[in-house]
Amino acid sequence: MSLDFSVLLLFQDALVLGLWTTIKLTLICVVLGSSLGFLVGLARTAPSAVVRGIASVYVEFFRGTPVLIQLFWIFFCLPLILGVELSNLASGVIALTLYMGAITSETFRASLKSVGREQMDACIALGLPRHVQVTSVILPQAVLRAVPTLLSNCVSLFKESALVSAVGMADLMFVGQNISNNTARPVEVLTVVALIYFAIAFPLTRAVTLVEGRILKKLAI
Amino acid sequence: MNYTFDFNAVSLRPLIEGLVVTLELTVAANLIGVVLGFPLALLLMSRIVVIRWPATLFVEFFRCTPAIVQIVWFFYCVPMLFNVFLGSMTMGILALGLNLMAFNAEAYRAAIQAVPREQIDAGIALGLNPLQRVVYIVLPNALRASVPVLLTNGIVIFQQSALVAIVAVQDLMYQAKTLATETYRPIETFTIAALIYFAVSFPVAQVVGWLERRRQVLTS
Repeated sequence: MSLDFSVLLLFQDALVLGLWTTIKLTLICVVLGSSLGFLVGLARTAPSAVVRGIASVYVEFFRGTPVLIQLFWIFFCLPLILGVELSNLASGVIALTLYMGAITSETFRASLKSVGREQMDACIALGLPRHVQVTSVILPQAVLRAVPTLLSNCVSLFKESALVSAVGMADLMFVGQNISNNTARPVEVLTVVALIYFAIAFPLTRAVTLVEGRILKKLAI
Repeated sequence: MNYTFDFNAVSLRPLIEGLVVTLELTVAANLIGVVLGFPLALLLMSRIVVIRWPATLFVEFFRCTPAIVQIVWFFYCVPMLFNVFLGSMTMGILALGLNLMAFNAEAYRAAIQAVPREQIDAGIALGLNPLQRVVYIVLPNALRASVPVLLTNGIVIFQQSALVAIVAVQDLMYQAKTLATETYRPIETFTIAALIYFAVSFPVAQVVGWLERRRQVLTS
């Protein structure tokens, strides 16, 4: 068979628009999701068993089920339960934020744990009040240690965002599939779509390795 | 809200049938991933550029593109490019298996690199040839160290297998979608399907946690 990649030039604008939707969705959910994740990570170390229990059930459930089914659930069921119409974008944002919240909460929990016990003891010895302990001692160290994993969580989210195409949101994957169906040239179109995803995710994963090396070096000093 | 739940409207039979398909996909993909991931990891660490590069490209490609793109690509493009027409189940297994192979190769690579240098030196000192060194020293060490990650990747593939529903393989997700439209009961159907997925992956995740804790105690 002969390949003809020039077909794609006709649909340049559509692809760019799709990519923009994907990026927008990813960025919104990175911000909302990691804030949620930080709170949930704190909640999982809370003294109250009820708070801890709720946070654990949330995290385990979202990590234990496919993102696709979460998306379908929020897309089809949430409007029925709440009795309000949700736009495509809103459902996508809710689903991916909850997913991101669950995975980043684990990242934050691990990094909070990695802040040594002796740091807390030093705070007590210095007589620092509780909020200073958290904001000036625990938080900076925990966030610094979480950065590499957080970055790879962002890459995961970017990849998972392609799922919203299954519920009809016009992201890069959805646009790609539409073009491929209309032009009957799936090989060219889908390959280019895959390459676009790759071109964004690959440098990010390299950045994770770089940041990891640098932070490890910094912490070792 | 004024929605009345009716969980009886959802018949479990098709969902169970779907679960069986999902489990078949998962087990077959894991076989491919666990077995072929190891030689791929060795290729990744080869000193010869011509071998290392294609292997790295393969792994990075699977790690840096969405699984849904890979699966759709596989189902549309492989028959067109290579003129092979396989059953949808076989295609699903291959797509998921190759994806898992890439992720497992990374896990093996990390585990292999964590094998202490002295052990390999000891192997050289004992006069083992390179193959023997891999089989008797690197492999057992690396395998044991990589078990938790392999299991985690296995669960991830179990969850990712829901994506084949999009290309009409009749797995749990596909059956749930069909049932939801047939019965007009999306909440009940999707909730039950989600709980089934959860019931399978949660215990495995607990085992992983237990293995990791045990390993920490052993190594410390």
